[in-house]
Amino acid sequence: MLWRLLIFVWIAGWMVAALLFAPQVPVLHETTRVLYFHIPAAWIAVLALGWGMLHSVLYLVKRDLQHDDHAAAAAELGVLFTVMATVSGSLWAKAMWGSYWNWDPRETSIFFVLILYIAYLALRGSIEGDEKRARLSAIYSAIAFVAVPFLMFVVPRMYETLHPDPIINPRGKVDMDPMIRTCFFAMLIGFTALYFWLQTLRVRVTRIERRRELARGL
Amino acid sequence: MPNAASNSAGAVWSVLRKECRTEWRTRYGLNAALLFAVASLTAVSFAAGRLGNRTDIMAALFWIVLLFATLASMSHAFVREVEARTMLLLRLVATPTEIAVGKLLFNLLFLLVIEAVTVPLFMVLMGAPPVRWGDFLAVLLLGTVSLAASSTLVGAVIAQTRGRGALFAGVSLPLLLPVLAAAVGGTREMWAANSVAPSLRLLGAYAVALLAASLLLYDHLWED
Repeated sequence: MLWRLLIFVWIAGWMVAALLFAPQVPVLHETTRVLYFHIPAAWIAVLALGWGMLHSVLYLVKRDLQHDDHAAAAAELGVLFTVMATVSGSLWAKAMWGSYWNWDPRETSIFFVLILYIAYLALRGSIEGDEKRARLSAIYSAIAFVAVPFLMFVVPRMYETLHPDPIINPRGKVDMDPMIRTCFFAMLIGFTALYFWLQTLRVRVTRIERRRELARGL
Repeated sequence: MPNAASNSAGAVWSVLRKECRTEWRTRYGLNAALLFAVASLTAVSFAAGRLGNRTDIMAALFWIVLLFATLASMSHAFVREVEARTMLLLRLVATPTEIAVGKLLFNLLFLLVIEAVTVPLFMVLMGAPPVRWGDFLAVLLLGTVSLAASSTLVGAVIAQTRGRGALFAGVSLPLLLPVLAAAVGGTREMWAANSVAPSLRLLGAYAVALLAASLLLYDHLWED
């Protein structure tokens, strides 16, 4: 309860600070503000992917259904944050690049993450039995882990990008206005806390559902 | 333990031989796959017409035809066992890894047969300019290995679900996108008379990564 309140106040407070007081970046102007929402969402999309894959591999090693619960929850939340990052990015692209979608490398990799999540959830939905579902979807998650670096980092590097980290961040290190930087990292922390809170919540719900199913079976 | 190793190789060889023999008896899998590949090739060729010197589009269409042929036929090796209720027997005589490696080799052979028909037909129907054989075959072979490796693992998983064939295409796609990107890139560079080395490195690295991960995961495929 305290956590929930703290996360709410933190995110709301920093969002207001970011929108009202943080300066704008030269080329991006008003659209600078998407930064505080879009990048944290994209970061969570990737974090959830890694978290889910970690727990999938842990499931294959330890055979504890708790790991599978974590993997499933990460995929569900991953879809949510990926859609948030994609939609906010797409709206921003319309404002800056003049089209909602044009297969920029960054758009390609986030799209890939989205279909990966959806394929994983579709696969889960079609397997009967907790153990079998956990095992087979963990196998899929582990093999997808091989594809992720290729699609996130290797293939997009083969094409030119218009994505603005070269504009915000030209020297390859964090080099922003101090006010922007503070707000941005605060939002990053806020989103990460929000994600882990939602994650534990989802895992607890799954556990209660399983216990109820067991009770009904008896 | 040279004996265990040769036993394993023997088991893999038996699985491969058994696959080829059952396929050859009915040939319905191969016929269906060939028909599908030719049908999608005809559709592409009919819709696009002769592209002449647009080899960039041709490279994309070429790999889309091969991708479709893979998605349509590759789940077959494991789904057939489940449908004929022979999976359990197979598992009694060989370890999961031996079965999967045998099926992987069969899938590879299967794809090569399909390509032996589709590739010349594509070149003729699309009026493709002459290829640089060494580069072209290297891209084709490495791409085929990746397609087969990914399809074998996903096929084994999908055979145990309710959706089976219907799910296969959607679940395979994310794993095949890197192959598609690199193979199309390589084929395009080959036609543009540029170096295909970067694409070959990417394809090779992906094929090796897929195979290594598959070998680790095959053991977990069946358990009950």
